[in-house]
Amino acid sequence: MATGASMIERMRDPSEASLGMLLLAPAFLLLALIVVYPIATLIFNSFFDLRLSGGGGMKFVGLENYLLVLKDPDFWNATWNTVLITLITVPGALVVGLGLALLANLPFKRQWPVRLALLLPWALPLAFAGLIFAWFFHTEYGIVNDVVRRLGFGGEPTMWLLRPGWAFAAICLTIVWKTSSFMALILLAGLQMIPRSLYEAAEVDGASKGQQFWQITIPMLMPSIIVALIFRTITALQTFDIPYTMTRGGPGNATETLAMLIHKTTIDYLDVGYGSTLAVFMFLLSLAVTAVYLRRIGRQA
Amino acid sequence: MKRRNLLKALALCAAVAASTGSTGALADTTLRVFSGGANQRPDLMRKLFDQFQAANPGVKIEIETGGATSELQRQYLSTVLNAKDSAIDIYMIDIVNPAQYFGAGWLEPLNAYVGNPADAMKPFLPVYLQSNVVDGKVAAMPGFADAMFMYYRKDLLEKYRIAEPKTWDELAAASKKIQAGEGNPNLQGLSIQGAPIEGAVCTFLLPYWSQGKEFNDASGKLTLDRTAAVKGLNQWLGMVDGGVIKRNVAEVKTPDTVNEFKAGQVVFAINWGFAWDRFQADNDSTVKGKVGVMPLPAMAGGKSATCVGGWQWAVSAFSKNKAEAAKLVKFMSTPAASKFLAVEGSLLPVYQSVYVDPDVVKAVPWFKDASNVVIAGKSRPLSKDYGQVSDVVRTTTSAVLARTKKPEDGVGEIESRLARVMR
Repeated sequence: MATGASMIERMRDPSEASLGMLLLAPAFLLLALIVVYPIATLIFNSFFDLRLSGGGGMKFVGLENYLLVLKDPDFWNATWNTVLITLITVPGALVVGLGLALLANLPFKRQWPVRLALLLPWALPLAFAGLIFAWFFHTEYGIVNDVVRRLGFGGEPTMWLLRPGWAFAAICLTIVWKTSSFMALILLAGLQMIPRSLYEAAEVDGASKGQQFWQITIPMLMPSIIVALIFRTITALQTFDIPYTMTRGGPGNATETLAMLIHKTTIDYLDVGYGSTLAVFMFLLSLAVTAVYLRRIGRQA
Repeated sequence: MKRRNLLKALALCAAVAASTGSTGALADTTLRVFSGGANQRPDLMRKLFDQFQAANPGVKIEIETGGATSELQRQYLSTVLNAKDSAIDIYMIDIVNPAQYFGAGWLEPLNAYVGNPADAMKPFLPVYLQSNVVDGKVAAMPGFADAMFMYYRKDLLEKYRIAEPKTWDELAAASKKIQAGEGNPNLQGLSIQGAPIEGAVCTFLLPYWSQGKEFNDASGKLTLDRTAAVKGLNQWLGMVDGGVIKRNVAEVKTPDTVNEFKAGQVVFAINWGFAWDRFQADNDSTVKGKVGVMPLPAMAGGKSATCVGGWQWAVSAFSKNKAEAAKLVKFMSTPAASKFLAVEGSLLPVYQSVYVDPDVVKAVPWFKDASNVVIAGKSRPLSKDYGQVSDVVRTTTSAVLARTKKPEDGVGEIESRLARVMR
């Protein structure tokens, strides 16, 4: 009875440290539940032969799954596609996004239409963007081939999504379109924080527009660029929706990404053990890329 | 004062408990049914459920519908069943799924409710014994059948005095003659599904089977004949080169074939049974009354074969009302239910006897042509890993039809990938 009363007393007037712990506890619990527990389960499963289709139980296989992944041509194909998509679409979205942000930052009379136009692609669900662009690139009904025909390039229409190279390019284009508005939003916020006085001073010193861009805008914008790049790179490594809706990874598996391979292995093939191992590899890839960025930020700070 | 309130509260609780208990005895079972997508006609299933509810007071049936295609439904069900969710008691599943789901321990064996497999399955079309009995256990009961049919433009064949082609080469020749005669550059000779969807598995199997070859033996082991498989794929590619099949066939999905045939742009079309109603009953169909159904052609010297589909009713292993659920499944697979679905929705019966039922023949005359096709039909490979089998076959077939892989390489890939899975 006495201890209960004293505990209530203490709860009423906690020290700073225990108050801090109390306030953090819900967040910690939530993180443990939605981040730590699933990742721990994933890593645990990756050491087992766990196939739901067989009806058998789990069998511990140690590192066998990992060795199989390293020898799996599908894994390397998907990883290569994922890395290539990242290498193309992240800089692509940065350049396009920067252009859009500079445009939106111009002193228009009405700024809201420009900003709304920036927001729309970002607000569109990824799967919709994929379906819309798949329709654009359709051999017979697509607007792309219609334009090509109207421009007078006759002959056989190109089957965009059935040629490995073109399908890949179409997917990259869609991703750049879809994600550059997100880049632009972050960069626009950054642009608006650059004081006008810097440009006025540069003007007085006789710096050209180009010099102003490279010497003032880009360096002052660097923190925003880095933040935007980190977000974009991580989502690029997880690319799933757009290739899934546009090509289903086809033709063959020419546009299959790592996230699609994991989805296929676990959901379609019901091979949870092997799928978990693939996911661990994707986790490591994301971790490595994030570490590189974080080190860069650390150096800057 | 306090004590009296407490007593009152207790009395109230007891009363509530008693009353729910008594109503519970009357209407205690709610069965939740996953009833497929729109093509599986949940509206008609609802009517059958209402009949069951009327005959079984105390049972309430809730219905849930899913994605439009078999793959979408498979993905959803894999997630739900993987989580051992007890919310859904009964599942409508595609013919390719019982082996996989039963193997994963997701379906309740029905032997205790329907009797031993051989007797329980005897009245149904033979293909359902193979696909619904897994390891001597009844995994699911047939609801309605489906099959790949060869639809054709009766009017065009009559106009050019062409008989129903018996081989693929005859079909190609007939198409070319009609295409040349009509002078319409948009007219396709034959429409098949080449996109990497479930239908592409049949696109691979049809010319292969029609050479008298089997994809797997009775135990599910892969028995792929490479030469025949390559020949089958080359048959399609030859028809693409000849202008009979359109060049972007690897983009064609099931609804594309339906829509293009409806628009009068196709002479021969391979599609599921539901397409008949679309051709004959849809307002935007330009081919009403001009459609015929015939057995699928074979390779020269071979024998016609088709892909049988259909939908089954299964009881979830995680259901809390298995006995009631099994009763409903039995009801849904009676000849009466089969007849109702045939007459009301022209869904193909799973009983051979229902095809010749006078009411059915009157309501859907084309079923007399259909029954021979369905009875001669074959089931796709039965495997606990059907998800993987299907994915490998349809992805590779699509890539070959897109000409990003040579038929020889594609068949080699199918063999090497499935040798481990189907053994």
